[in-house]
Amino acid sequence: MTLSPDEITMLTLWGFAVNATIFYTWIVMAVLTVASMIITRNLRADVPPNRWRTTLEVIVQTIQGQIEEIAGGPSRHLIYFAGTLFLFVAASNLLLVVPGFEPPTSSLSTTTALALSVLVAVPLFGITSRGLGGYLMTYLQPSFIMLPFNIISEFSRGISLAIRLYGNIMSGAVIAAILLTVAPFFFPVVMDLLGLLTGMIQAYIFAILATVYISSATAPRKSSDPQEDTP
Amino acid sequence: MSIDWITVAAQLANFLVLVWLLKRFLYRPILDGIDAREAEITARMEVAARAKEEASRAETEYRNQLAALQSEQASASEAERRAAQKEKDALLSEARERIERERAAWATHRDDETRNFVTKLHRAGGQALLELTRKAVFDLADETLEARIAAHLAGQIETMDGNLKKAAGSAPDAVVLSRAPLDPSIQQEIRAVLQDRFDGIAVRFDTDATQSPGLALRVGGAQLAWTVDTYIDDLDTLVTDRLTNALEAKL
Repeated sequence: MTLSPDEITMLTLWGFAVNATIFYTWIVMAVLTVASMIITRNLRADVPPNRWRTTLEVIVQTIQGQIEEIAGGPSRHLIYFAGTLFLFVAASNLLLVVPGFEPPTSSLSTTTALALSVLVAVPLFGITSRGLGGYLMTYLQPSFIMLPFNIISEFSRGISLAIRLYGNIMSGAVIAAILLTVAPFFFPVVMDLLGLLTGMIQAYIFAILATVYISSATAPRKSSDPQEDTP
Repeated sequence: MSIDWITVAAQLANFLVLVWLLKRFLYRPILDGIDAREAEITARMEVAARAKEEASRAETEYRNQLAALQSEQASASEAERRAAQKEKDALLSEARERIERERAAWATHRDDETRNFVTKLHRAGGQALLELTRKAVFDLADETLEARIAAHLAGQIETMDGNLKKAAGSAPDAVVLSRAPLDPSIQQEIRAVLQDRFDGIAVRFDTDATQSPGLALRVGGAQLAWTVDTYIDDLDTLVTDRLTNALEAKL
């Protein structure tokens, strides 16, 4: 039994073997991008929003609300990052119901990549917000003795993020595969439903934890101007 | 459980590309659209607030105008009321004056009517009394009334007191006035008495249809008379007293 989609080669491009993780990641990216393009193609202020646009606005505003609640203020960069994390993980996990689809999040490589991106995003957002000195000073808080512990904490966050998401998604997929061989007509449906629920929860947890980590590294926001950090 | 670092690197790149793609095709259009709509709503709210303020100002202006109009209307009504009251007073005064005039005219007319009626009544009463008296005198004494009147007048002439004589003075003539011409024998009797009383006085007998029945003698400033008016007046007084007493007794 293959535990990781990394081991499945889907196609070869210019001598580079594209495994199932990357292949299905592209599919998820394509689905998200195309859906976004279709829904937002006629987006004008004077046109009343249709059903799909309203749905998308609700999703984006929910993400924005959650992030503002955690970060203490609006931040478009954080919305781009954490929102993409949520949508990618959620879409990957929801597409589990498509027969033959291997969720990229069931690959430790994918979850590691996402955890690494969070690991890199935390200092980037922190330095952008507090400045380099201000951010580095957070490692010495409340005392310089805490420096090694803060560094370990920083890395352990990324590792825990990666392992948590991978473990949940991969275990769900593995259990579904095992049950498929034991009772192919009933348990897979139940497991798929459970997988959808777990996948959404994991997407939410992953995005929320990333937001919390990044917010803790950034200075507390006082202004509520949504355009303050618009690029 | 193993990590393929090439896949990790590819997924990192994929993720960054996805962030860019979603930023380009999802977040920015959606958030910009929301911001634009919020700005539009804010602008509309401002326009609505301004319109509301203008409406409020217009309402205040309208209320002021309404109050001014009501005040003007009240003033006009008061003026109209005063004018109407003045006209009413003038009309009432005119009506009262007219009624007063009519009442005075009516009272005058009534008095004239009363006077005429009383005169006619007196005349009729006098005539009736005269006829009755004439008949009674004729039945009882076998004499005419005119003869008895003449005799009565002659008696008065003979018993004239000093004052009356003085008033008669030395008048050259005496006038005997009656309603109808007197019988010659009566004229003779009166003339004889007068000439006996006033030496050589000329006696003239005149008639006056308006005089009440009887005889009147005028000599200079003196006047003697016997007419039925005295009796009529007594009769009138008597009847009035009786009627008044009867009405008081009923009440």
